[in-house]
Amino acid sequence: MFDRRDFLKSSVAGGGALALAGGSKLAFGATAANSYDTLVVVYLRGGMDALSLFSPGGSNANRAAYESARPSLKIPLSGTGAGLAVSADQWRLHPRAPQLRDLYTGGKMAVVLGAGMPAPVTRSHFDAQANMEVGLAGVGGGVGWLTRVLETANLPGTVQIPAVSAGSITATSLLGSTETITMGSGSDFRIDSGSWAWNVEPDFRTTAPPGARGIFSMLPELWSEAGAFEAAGRQTLDALNVIKPIDFGAYAPANGAVYDSGSGFAQQLKMLAQLIKRDVGLRVATIDLGGWDTHDGQGNPANSYDYFGNKVEELSKGLGAFYADLNGSGASNYAGTTSVVVMSEFGRRVRENDDGGTDHGYGSVMLALGGSVNGGLTYGSFAGLATAQLFEGADVMVTTDYRRVMSEAVIRRLRNPNVYYAFPGYSGYTPLGIFQGTDLPPSGNDRIFGNGFQ
Amino acid sequence: MASVFASQVVSRRQLIQSLAGAIGAIDPVAMRRPGKPSVQAPKAAPEPNLAMPPPTVRWLQKATFGYNFFDNLALGQLPGATDDARWANWVGAQLDPAAISDSACDSRLAGAGFTTLAKTLPQLWSQHRGSTDYAVRMRPVAEIECATTIRAIYSKRQLFEVMTDFWHDHFSTFGWDYDAGPLFVHYDRDVIRPNVFGNFRTMLEAVAKSTTMMYYLDLYASSVAGPNENFARELIELHTLGAENYAGVMDPTDPSLPVGVIGDGQTARLKYVDEDVYESTRALTGWTLKNGHWQYPADNDGTFVFRDSADWHDRFTKYVLNRRFAPDQGQQDGFKLFDLLASHPGTANFIARKLCRRFIGDDPPQSLVTSIAQLFQNTWQAPDQLRQVTQAILLSAEFKNTWGTKIKRPFNALVGAVRATFGEFVPTLATYGTEWSTKDEINSRVQQAGQRKFYWPAPNGYPDRSAAWASTGSLAMTWKMLVRLTEIRQQVGYDSARPNVIDVVGVTNATFPAASRTAANIVGYWCDVILGFRPEPVYTKALDFLRQNATPTEVLVLNEAWAGGTNPNLKNHYTQSRLRSTVALILCSPDALRR
Repeated sequence: MFDRRDFLKSSVAGGGALALAGGSKLAFGATAANSYDTLVVVYLRGGMDALSLFSPGGSNANRAAYESARPSLKIPLSGTGAGLAVSADQWRLHPRAPQLRDLYTGGKMAVVLGAGMPAPVTRSHFDAQANMEVGLAGVGGGVGWLTRVLETANLPGTVQIPAVSAGSITATSLLGSTETITMGSGSDFRIDSGSWAWNVEPDFRTTAPPGARGIFSMLPELWSEAGAFEAAGRQTLDALNVIKPIDFGAYAPANGAVYDSGSGFAQQLKMLAQLIKRDVGLRVATIDLGGWDTHDGQGNPANSYDYFGNKVEELSKGLGAFYADLNGSGASNYAGTTSVVVMSEFGRRVRENDDGGTDHGYGSVMLALGGSVNGGLTYGSFAGLATAQLFEGADVMVTTDYRRVMSEAVIRRLRNPNVYYAFPGYSGYTPLGIFQGTDLPPSGNDRIFGNGFQ
Repeated sequence: MASVFASQVVSRRQLIQSLAGAIGAIDPVAMRRPGKPSVQAPKAAPEPNLAMPPPTVRWLQKATFGYNFFDNLALGQLPGATDDARWANWVGAQLDPAAISDSACDSRLAGAGFTTLAKTLPQLWSQHRGSTDYAVRMRPVAEIECATTIRAIYSKRQLFEVMTDFWHDHFSTFGWDYDAGPLFVHYDRDVIRPNVFGNFRTMLEAVAKSTTMMYYLDLYASSVAGPNENFARELIELHTLGAENYAGVMDPTDPSLPVGVIGDGQTARLKYVDEDVYESTRALTGWTLKNGHWQYPADNDGTFVFRDSADWHDRFTKYVLNRRFAPDQGQQDGFKLFDLLASHPGTANFIARKLCRRFIGDDPPQSLVTSIAQLFQNTWQAPDQLRQVTQAILLSAEFKNTWGTKIKRPFNALVGAVRATFGEFVPTLATYGTEWSTKDEINSRVQQAGQRKFYWPAPNGYPDRSAAWASTGSLAMTWKMLVRLTEIRQQVGYDSARPNVIDVVGVTNATFPAASRTAANIVGYWCDVILGFRPEPVYTKALDFLRQNATPTEVLVLNEAWAGGTNPNLKNHYTQSRLRSTVALILCSPDALRR
């Protein structure tokens, strides 16, 4: 029987009506997309070979050096596997990335050249990732740079979900944040696996005897004590409660966007899109795509074996679907308030190795993508591929500090000037002009205010 | 339903508030809310008011895959007048695993229908690495995954299993790598396990030569014509000196780089730079496999081979950590490199800290790390080096006196729950038509929690710091797995005709005659077997949940039925599943998940 009481309960906790409403904002009379921006940081783990994703094109003076350094791996200019020309063939996007090419030529994606962390130079994946994500250039901390962005973002007192780290384990950039939900799959993120009879309201069933309490509603009483582990438990219970009303299975992507069901990356982007449209207050999100450490058998789009191309296709299709899904008009123009930045810990050695692969390098590229990106352009300089132009004669030089790109996203899109607090030791920020928005004087942050003692 | 609301001119917030008002108070669910700090407080040490179980319970929680009531009883019966004396005897016995009878575990393994665990490397090579049928190809790693779980739960050689887990993490490979997976039986059985209580230098060389690692980090393809630095870089950064001894991209002759006497009595540079990676790469060229290479098509059984020909091994002088490797030394270059790394104080410190982190805390005391590192270095040539090192950690005051500094990682939480509750979970590759097998379901759930065995993609192994596993994603999915564990059936999880993995009701009934089945007795018992003590608030909250409106000492009837009418008497309502859910609550408590 479905009585009024059950109806109300399912509306609030079971999620049916509100979950559907999450995808139909106009039903509530909203007239604009979210009143705040969301920054999505995509981390390509393993050191993505930037010279294959974004290779010198036919009119690029570095093409000859590139072909000479990459006899078997070079992305061809013509024929099978030819790269997709952009910027008057100065550059070629990988042929498995037509979605990214369309975004680029449509002015919604920009590429930052020579991107990376200037110092310390490390060819260790794990050091490089930790340095970049902690944002402290080699100094330990245990708090990620995005956590410090959130801490100083001057957010409203109550925000349902300020941050999501997609996965089982929190990205280092969001370490230490008590406001972050780490989850791999929204639909799985609920404790509904217990016995039918005691999986009861306010848990997941709608009919139960009066007074009956389920496992999920008892858990907080077990995690009530002081202590760091108990605090983590309470944060987890918060997260489960916040996610519980959301029906992830009912979500229908807009504008014909198709998220590949076999791609965990695409499915996590879909989860983020739903949260963005639900207006849960999402300011930052992290999402990983691994498998880029191609020391051996990197493959080539000109051949049937194209390992790197398979990874690029997953990246491109996922981001293409994400943008399309968010790219409505008027009140549904979520793309205008969502910016994606794609990064990796370093680029790979210019010269290919003898195993059809590439080794750890230095400079890479970053992608910036979204409705408020001044796209269709490259940003930053490219130092060139001649031996004398390379770092130690071997690697693409880092010419654009990744913190400069991130700082611009934080200032112009998240409207938070405290980039020197997010990146201690960073100074001299000026915008490259990648993102639309208003400049604010970059500043550190007075920790007293950051801690809420105003 | 949305159309019902569409005509109402209210904001969503107002709507939620009005609905909330209609059904009574609900929590204002928001991750950010007034009064809640946005950044975690720095870790307080020691944790405030942490309830501690008795010493032997603590030690077993930390040194095994989880406390088990009967293991603790057996420990109590070992010779010795004190807990410390009995613990020393327990550790001593565990360090000689071959002397421990393991028939209960062995018979489960024997009955599981595994077909690859006894195959030789050449058999694995031809029958699995040579197959393009994915299920056949990957059967070795799939069976090792099952066998590892069975051993973690049932083996009496618990310390051996825990250390096997540690060294698999240290020399981590992605088990499902298309080339490495078919050989994984060899890696687990012949490379990791024989050396767990042996000598690090020996294990290091065995790993380098192993077919699985050769493929995972590309050493098999490294020749003088085409050197591949992948293995050499991780050999130094992850297997030996550690990133803590990486000076970055620097000139190796930079005078700021420290030099000192190392374990072999000679001097060496104490920090490494990229040149050491490249020079080590050169030293290891020619270390490859009989993999049917076009130059040697007849050599094709997957075993290690060193090739000293001019196009494979770099014959010229190498300089690693300020040591000169003379030209034309062939395979000796590699042996010399492993000697250098295994006797280096950087390695000793890195490994000692990792071992102490596993057993004592995320940031173990430097004094203990230093003394363990000294022992590691002093015994670097001893055949039982790792036995001595492991023993020293487990008998240290720091091990004995710390509690709750670590949390059980998801695989440990799973195995620990089955061990504590006398469960029967014997994962096999058996299939049941289109039904989801219990093995597949559990593997999926531990994967969601973030720690499916042999599934970490990067060569640094699963994290061993609490921050990783205290994330909402890992902790929530660990709870979900543990709750499910109290309901799931053997072999086919949702087949109600099959017995439960954890026989909560049967064990309870066997323990207490009907007249003694009070909530207080039952909850006390399950706290004792799962936690080894009855901490608050777990005991009282679990008791309240089980008793409902009964008194703690009132006898419960264990039924599985609606207690009648629209307003049933809750104390009689679905008591069997309530009992299982009570056990789930205890399994999900902080006291069950810390170590």
